[in-house]
Amino acid sequence: MGGHFRLLMQVAFRNLFTSKINLLIGGIIFFGTLLVVVGGALLDSMDSAMSRSIIGSVAGHIQVYSDDSKDELGLFGNMGGEPDLAAVDDFSRIKPVLEKHPNVKTVVPMGTNGALITSGNTVDLTLARLRDLYKKRAEGGETPGLRENIDSLKSHVRQMVALMEEDLVRSQALLSESARTPEEKESLVRARSEAFWNTFEQDPFDSLEFLENRIAPQIPDGDMLYLRYAGTDLDAFQRTFDRMEVVDGQPVPAGQRGMLLSKFFYEEYLKLKTARRLDLIKQERDVNKKTIATDPQLERWVKENQTQTRELLFQLDPIKTRLAVERLQKVLGTQEPKLEKLLSTFLATDDANFDTRYAQFYSELAPLLELYRLRLGDSLTITAFTRSGYVQSVNVKVYGTYQFKGLEKSALAGALNLMDLMSFRDLYGYLSADKKAEIADLQKQSGVQAVARENAEDALFGEDSGNSLVAEATPGVIDEKDAFTGALDSLRRDDLAKRIYSQDEIEQGVVLSAAVMLKDPEQLPRTMAELQQSAKDAGLKLRVVSWQQAAGIIGQFVLMAKLVLYFAVFIIFVVALVIINNAMMMATLQRVREVGTMRAIGAQRSFVLGMVLVETLLLGFVFGAGGALVGSGIMAALGSAGIPAGNEALYFFFSGPRLYPSLSAGNLIAAFVIVLVVSSISTLYPAFLATRVSPLKAMQTDE
Amino acid sequence: MNPAAKAPIVSITNVTKDYNLGKVVVPALRGVDLQVHPGEFISIAGPSGSGKTTLLNLIGCVDTATTGVVSVAGQDTKQLSERQLTNLRLHTIGFIFQSFNLVSVLTVFQNVEFPLLLQRKLDKAQRRERVMQLLEQVGLAGHAKHRPNELSGGQRQRVAVARALVTRPQLVLADEPTANLDSVTGQHIIDLMKELNQKEGTTFIFSTHDAKVMNHANAVWRLADGKILDRLSASEAQRAMAVGGH
Repeated sequence: MGGHFRLLMQVAFRNLFTSKINLLIGGIIFFGTLLVVVGGALLDSMDSAMSRSIIGSVAGHIQVYSDDSKDELGLFGNMGGEPDLAAVDDFSRIKPVLEKHPNVKTVVPMGTNGALITSGNTVDLTLARLRDLYKKRAEGGETPGLRENIDSLKSHVRQMVALMEEDLVRSQALLSESARTPEEKESLVRARSEAFWNTFEQDPFDSLEFLENRIAPQIPDGDMLYLRYAGTDLDAFQRTFDRMEVVDGQPVPAGQRGMLLSKFFYEEYLKLKTARRLDLIKQERDVNKKTIATDPQLERWVKENQTQTRELLFQLDPIKTRLAVERLQKVLGTQEPKLEKLLSTFLATDDANFDTRYAQFYSELAPLLELYRLRLGDSLTITAFTRSGYVQSVNVKVYGTYQFKGLEKSALAGALNLMDLMSFRDLYGYLSADKKAEIADLQKQSGVQAVARENAEDALFGEDSGNSLVAEATPGVIDEKDAFTGALDSLRRDDLAKRIYSQDEIEQGVVLSAAVMLKDPEQLPRTMAELQQSAKDAGLKLRVVSWQQAAGIIGQFVLMAKLVLYFAVFIIFVVALVIINNAMMMATLQRVREVGTMRAIGAQRSFVLGMVLVETLLLGFVFGAGGALVGSGIMAALGSAGIPAGNEALYFFFSGPRLYPSLSAGNLIAAFVIVLVVSSISTLYPAFLATRVSPLKAMQTDE
Repeated sequence: MNPAAKAPIVSITNVTKDYNLGKVVVPALRGVDLQVHPGEFISIAGPSGSGKTTLLNLIGCVDTATTGVVSVAGQDTKQLSERQLTNLRLHTIGFIFQSFNLVSVLTVFQNVEFPLLLQRKLDKAQRRERVMQLLEQVGLAGHAKHRPNELSGGQRQRVAVARALVTRPQLVLADEPTANLDSVTGQHIIDLMKELNQKEGTTFIFSTHDAKVMNHANAVWRLADGKILDRLSASEAQRAMAVGGH
């Protein structure tokens, strides 16, 4: 009957607030629930934020790759570099198998790899531009405009040589013996001489070669950069990963070769270092409220800007140098004639003048400078080791920069640059089984036909035989001289850059993996199993992995974080269990007389058991609800204010600069269930003891 | 009224009770024979350690005899399970304790209602009527909503009396019900018990070592060293006490 339960509730409810021990237990339950609600919700929110980052950037929901791979797929790189994956010979064979599944929305071909690129030093870049102009002149004859440009660049180069000589004098003053070899000094002297420049035009290419080979290497400001790239069907990629957006420049035209650099990478590695440092100082000051006076990092950047002005000096030809001097004299209000000193003074920023100087840098100096070492629209020479072990270079035009929305500042997401599949395949240098056989066949025959081949080429191109072997070379940067004269290569290069590939060409060929985007992500585990099965049925040896596995070490990192947190929660609840157990034991002992009385006047053991359990459950409900309520409040506050990702590494995990955590019903229910189960379990033994209390205890007197 | 004519409600035959205190076995009762008939108002008297409480515990089915037969309401308690014994206590016996033993977190009304709730015989209205009836009888109808700690000792014991009687038990056991009360209040409690005994016909067995309290009993069983000395009428007992048999 209801009365019985009501009695239990009455006793329990009254006991709730009269016993101090109950308040202690209640407090534990309160904080336990709070922890589970807040911790669980944060963890889940972070998990889903990170999954949005991973799924929305490169992984998709599912990744498929060859089962012959030695390593596991790691889209963000694994420990010790790129994973060793076997190639999928032909994407067009796996695509229909995957797309057949009703839950598959899109399939995007992919391959990630890394290569070293040289960003080129300023002398090199200027010389290359000068060479282009001479080439143009050689092809189309001289125009006044062209002449003017050539003269400007020439005087720029002379300016740089002058600066280098100054450096030389300075280093000689510092060291008793020069760091440079006699040949280097000799070259520098020659480059400085009027004679050299007066005869420059007689054989401009010869003169350029001298500068390129003898002068440019003396400048150590060229960087080797590590470039991670993903070769993909760029159109399909952009359609599928809607977080991707082109920031500057333009998308790679459909079907063409080309690259989109990550905005993060472009800023971090290709921007003029002085400008980059100014940006960083500004960001630290504005966002993180640091000051130059107190933060050693900012102080270091300022110092580097003051001392490393040569990067700027080299960029300026005499006309621009004069302009820069005028502008800086005006800004600084001095008559100092030397640009180096002016720059050093200008860049000696402190907290008071930083914002003005920052603005002045971009308004006065930046228009005179190339802010980036690679202009959008220029080509980038990428050199990579192919699968077969030889070095392959490919020129890829950089059309623009892109970023993933919300992950603008994430170094992890920003490390990946996008490339068309054709260039990727060239760099990957993969030979399909058929091709390998063909080459082996050719090699076998080549001994016999060596002479015949020479003849054939001569016949074909009617050129002298100097470049006949180069025709076999890889597409991309080769010796300029040969390219210039070799009709075949220049033809091939133009052809490659402008050619529009059909969708079939893009898809029929090697990829390393394929990203699968699903219509209903909830169905992920089932879809994975079904895709695995259909791949097997189609005779394809594929590995089907979730985005979490595909993310490699990153996915595992989050799993680890989760495990650690769950373990912490587990420990806390084990401790809570012990404390509640002890507290309930004390409470039971305190109430031996009362329980004995109840037993004496006719309460069964089951009643006593029920009484203790109901009391704990009620305790759990009341304080658990309190904890859940406060937890919900905290989450609501955090949800609207957001948790700032103090560190840029966190952007990826927060899927943006702030994490806006949300509380799901699941979090609340989980917290409640855990708390009730823990408190019930911890009460079982005390409750059992209570049922063993003899009614005799009622008879004992107070002595 | 001739109680002896009916079947005894409590029948104790050759009962012994030993307490096992580690290595030593302490005999608390050494062969007791005793019969109580319905409607009697019996006092068990004797000095401390004479076995009064042990005897009451055996009658109250909260403890079992080492040897011998204890029969309550016609049932041999040795033959009953723990569950059945509890039911016997719930339906047949009422208890009044020396220290009142009210449930401190419940109100006066709820304390009295408690056994009725355990019994599950009456609905809410009936329970309410019965509880209020009892509270009126013990003169505490106006205190129904008070908590035990808001009451005096005498009032608390009256609540305990009401709780013991609310289920209309055949037998009420009271172990030194007046020991924690001053003599006037104790007197009132005994008067109340006597009144209920006469009105409702409930059998009362109470232990005491207070001669004034014994006065009201139909009969006084005197206990010493775990044995029944004699069964006296109230006046005989008083005389015996006066002589010095305390």
